[in-house]
Amino acid sequence: MNPPAPPEGDAPVERNREQPASSTRIKTLAKVGLVAGFVIWAHLGSGVEAFRSGVSSEPGWKKFSADYEIEHFGKDGQFVRAVQNGYNLVFHTHKYASRFTRKTALDRANSCGSCHTAEDLAYAFVNSDRFDPRLGMRVSFEDRVRRCYAGPMDGFAPTIYDPAVRDIRLFARAVAHHLQLGEGALRRKD
Amino acid sequence: MSTLTAKLAKIVLLVLASGGLYLLATHQHGQRESIRQAAVALTPDCAEKLGRYGLASGEHYQSPYVLQRTGARITARGYSDEDVRVIQRGCNIVDDTQGHLAGDADRERWNTTRFIRGTHLSCDHCHQSIGDKQDAGGNPMKGSLNLGASWAMADMYDRFTGLLLPFELRQMQCYINSSNGYKPNIADDVIRDVTAYSRFLSVALDYRIGNHHDEQGVDEIPASATPKQGDDHVRGEALYKQKCAHCHGPQAFGLEADGRVVAPALAGPNSWNMQSRNYFYYVSTILPGFICRNMPPGQENTLPNEECRDIAYYISNLPRPAGDRQGPLVALRQQMLMKVLPPLLRLTETVRNGEAPVERESGHDR
Repeated sequence: MNPPAPPEGDAPVERNREQPASSTRIKTLAKVGLVAGFVIWAHLGSGVEAFRSGVSSEPGWKKFSADYEIEHFGKDGQFVRAVQNGYNLVFHTHKYASRFTRKTALDRANSCGSCHTAEDLAYAFVNSDRFDPRLGMRVSFEDRVRRCYAGPMDGFAPTIYDPAVRDIRLFARAVAHHLQLGEGALRRKD
Repeated sequence: MSTLTAKLAKIVLLVLASGGLYLLATHQHGQRESIRQAAVALTPDCAEKLGRYGLASGEHYQSPYVLQRTGARITARGYSDEDVRVIQRGCNIVDDTQGHLAGDADRERWNTTRFIRGTHLSCDHCHQSIGDKQDAGGNPMKGSLNLGASWAMADMYDRFTGLLLPFELRQMQCYINSSNGYKPNIADDVIRDVTAYSRFLSVALDYRIGNHHDEQGVDEIPASATPKQGDDHVRGEALYKQKCAHCHGPQAFGLEADGRVVAPALAGPNSWNMQSRNYFYYVSTILPGFICRNMPPGQENTLPNEECRDIAYYISNLPRPAGDRQGPLVALRQQMLMKVLPPLLRLTETVRNGEAPVERESGHDR
């Protein structure tokens, strides 16, 4: 007895089943390739500093580091890197805190360094956390920095925990150490 | 029509509830502001210390302590009336965290007890002499956790948290682990007042930013600083009974008299938890260092390193609360141990000695 003849149209159905399988594989491979490509680009080609513990060295950092003896805290390390990031934030604010300022490279006053010297910040740090009669409240160094971002920098206030605030405090602390400032130190009138 | 009425009623209810919350928040805010403006009733020790360091409002501040010891007149920025009150409140919080000496503890200590689970713990137990412990000659003592020195050296990398640890965050950790409680907000008056007091100590003692002083933190004692006979809790138990139990009680649950803590609990529900840096299994060098440099009061630096490690090891084997990140099972186990072990140990001691049961200590039966 002959087996029943396959119904018409079976062969094309088989082919149709094979085609989607291979195209799914290709799609999956393409997706994996896309993700892998993004990861490789993000790490090697994007130039984005997020999630890197390293800090870019801007012009002037080496001189600043030598002048203020930052190596007292080690040649490298978490604190030194934070101070270096603080340096970048203070003198290249528009580049390193672009989220919190509307100033750009085209503006004349586009960084904290446009108004403050490193020593200004160190003295401000040791004189912070005092009652400000104008504001009617105690104002910490971090509060001042946040107000600077929101006001003179024409931008937005970061949270108190943000490295854009913290690293400026650490920068000021490192300079205060070099100047051997204590709490409430008064600036000598030159 | 009825649907419309119901919707309107819901909206009115929501507006009323929101308005009520707003009024409550405004009332609380106003209450806080009135406390900030109120004169501060100092604890006797704070009155003595702040008086000795010449805290007063004025344009400039000169530390009498520095003048007396070095002859130098170092002029720093003075304090406003508001700043003085903040420092005074900070001193009170360190000296009397639980508010036992306050007329109205909730108001005068910013209700600090809401951040502490037990009834014993106070900042002053570790940061002795209100965070500024000195010997008879007025010299700050090594490893005495001086708060002013800690402020001068804050923001350094902390190996336990992996953070550049600000002074405020360190205080929050104290509340969570050393006080086995809850963390206040970083901007809470509880934190800011203690920071202000610590900053005042640093100028009163003339500490400069970033300089290390021996009195900062604990003088840690590693095993390598001992004859390496091994940390032995059996030896530790004997030493504890001989040298510590007199004040801290036979089971280290602390002692209270007239509702005041005479000696704080070193174990049990009123003690620090298993994620505190005082816990020997977590960090084995800190508690021995604290014991050697700060205990017994008046006889500091008399215990050999090995004995301090043995005592610390023994204390850490006693039941205590689980840390906040150790999960419910560990917490449950520790709660059971704290309930079951004390009566069992009392019974064992009674049977072993053939004596009447040891008088109950404070705290453990709460």
